[in-house]
Amino acid sequence: MAGIVVRREIQEKIGEIKEADILVGIPSYNNARTIGHVVKAVQAGFAKYFPDRKCVLVNSDGGSTDGTMDVVQNTAIDDYQAVLLHHRVEPVYKITTPYHGIPGKGSAFKTIFEISDALQVKACAVVDADLRSITPEWVELLIKPVLQGGADYVAPLYLRHKYDGTITNSIIYPLTRALYGKRVRQPIGGDFGFSGELARFYLTKEVWETDVARYGIDIWMTTTAVANNFRTCQAFLGAKIHDPKDPGADLSAMLYQVVGATFDLMETYDSVWKTVQGSEPVPTFGFQYVVGLEPIQVNLTRMIERFRLGVKELMDIWKVFLPPETTDLLHTFGLLPKARFNIPDEVWVELIHHFALAAHQKVINKEHLLKSLTPLYIGRTASFVVETSESDAPEVEKKIERLCRMFEEKKSFLAKNWENRGGLS
Amino acid sequence: MNIFQRVIVEPLESLYEKILHFLPNFLTSLLLVGIGVILGAVLKAVVFRVLKALNVDKHFERFGMEKMLGKGGIKEPLSVLLSKLVKWITVFIFTIIALRALDIPSIERLLEGFFLYFPNVIVAILILFFGYLLSNFMGRAALIAAVNAGSVLSGVIGRSVRVSVFILAVTMALEQLGIGRNTIIITFAILFGGVVLALAIAFGLGGRDIAKEYIEKKVKGEEKKDEISHL
Repeated sequence: MAGIVVRREIQEKIGEIKEADILVGIPSYNNARTIGHVVKAVQAGFAKYFPDRKCVLVNSDGGSTDGTMDVVQNTAIDDYQAVLLHHRVEPVYKITTPYHGIPGKGSAFKTIFEISDALQVKACAVVDADLRSITPEWVELLIKPVLQGGADYVAPLYLRHKYDGTITNSIIYPLTRALYGKRVRQPIGGDFGFSGELARFYLTKEVWETDVARYGIDIWMTTTAVANNFRTCQAFLGAKIHDPKDPGADLSAMLYQVVGATFDLMETYDSVWKTVQGSEPVPTFGFQYVVGLEPIQVNLTRMIERFRLGVKELMDIWKVFLPPETTDLLHTFGLLPKARFNIPDEVWVELIHHFALAAHQKVINKEHLLKSLTPLYIGRTASFVVETSESDAPEVEKKIERLCRMFEEKKSFLAKNWENRGGLS
Repeated sequence: MNIFQRVIVEPLESLYEKILHFLPNFLTSLLLVGIGVILGAVLKAVVFRVLKALNVDKHFERFGMEKMLGKGGIKEPLSVLLSKLVKWITVFIFTIIALRALDIPSIERLLEGFFLYFPNVIVAILILFFGYLLSNFMGRAALIAAVNAGSVLSGVIGRSVRVSVFILAVTMALEQLGIGRNTIIITFAILFGGVVLALAIAFGLGGRDIAKEYIEKKVKGEEKKDEISHL
């Protein structure tokens, strides 16, 4: 498959730059409104923290029609003194290019990996184009652990509201932590740092024509790094504020993509995760602090109604792969009043394990299976909201920690039944 | 003597001739049926083993076909059913060949008519089979989508989609068989049109308040929305 570097203008640019130390990639699609701020923050980060290094900024665009690439080309810090920086002697190199291949963030990342490989870059980072809270320090925090700390992969650690990132908190973080034994708190954070060596390793994987190229690149990068024993750490970046996403974005499609990608990786790395027991923390960089976060409005009544509707209508589908005692419990939870609504950790872990096994054993169509998880996930989120309504951030983190330990304790069930196609034991 | 010869002996001789002519064909037919039965048994065993190795029963279960057959009183797994089917198709084919080998004109005419119509039956069965699979798949997809959209009518929506797709398959199958071609198409059109009209009237009359409330909420933004960022 021909990569992006065979294109003449990219070759010319690479020929001009020759080699670089640091590369920051920004995947984009119609982000003209916000990408200017991100480009400025990255440039300021280069100037402030890596003034003597050769730095490249790559914008890998998915065919924006709002002038995103022009904004990237034309954005520069006019007055360095205004942000208390020395003016760099060497300019920051910029490459803006539309990526080729299947439309999606994964294809955008592949272009960034290819350019970093061609430039023999030592450390890379990728940041989202819709970030409003990015500061020059993000560049330092994502790059320095690689450049000076010997890390291969830097995952982000954000300050988030207790009801923010609920798929991460209730499924992706606890499940990947239990599977691969590393406590990477934001495995699908979206902003990562990684070594040139790891970028080259990513390029050797034959995933660029699969769903990884469309979505699921975040969990794929984290899992690939962890499962292949690359040195992993995390960097505290503060609050993550980005452009509001489309409110009509389909939750079930989101669940299907993210959980589906996580389950697919369980197939790829089953020989790895089956041998892992417990988990260990990964080194964390950055000065951690607490800030007030904007409150999040939650319609608890509607969430519980969605759960009840799912229990009423989708039970026939779930009964194909859930044991009778679990389906009985779901009926019971549906009868609970709002104030006492609760789906316990233990039951939630069992549900996720049964869904993972059903996906592995191809019990029903995968899209149907994972989209039928939506009412259960909404129910679990409602339960979490009820349970943590009075809790502050550390208390909420303790509850998430308890859930993670439950995933680790019950992992043996998953491992035992993975090869067992005749039934559960 | 002449009369005896013409009335008794000659017909008997003629019959004897016919029997002599027919007997080899008959024995050939019997032999063909015998070969068919033996070959059918062998193929049945081979097909059964292949289907077991391919884990077909599990895939069949996934599409809900086992449940459908169970409702029809058939408890055997698909691998057994299909291997039996192969056996009986083999026996059937050899029986047809055996019948042709008898060299009887009236049977040949019957077989000719049957063979002209038979492909239609096979196509109709295939349409019904795949129509059933598709109706289950589409019905389940519609049900899940409706539940995730929070529709209280999700059960009805799922069943309606399933039944509609299956009715369409039945219509196509009957049309393939040439049974009441025009009548079926008209009936289907009337039924489908009737359902749409009934839904329109039901929503227009019965659902006026719901529609009003919905539009009001949309316009006034009264509904309290979630602001949870899930990822």
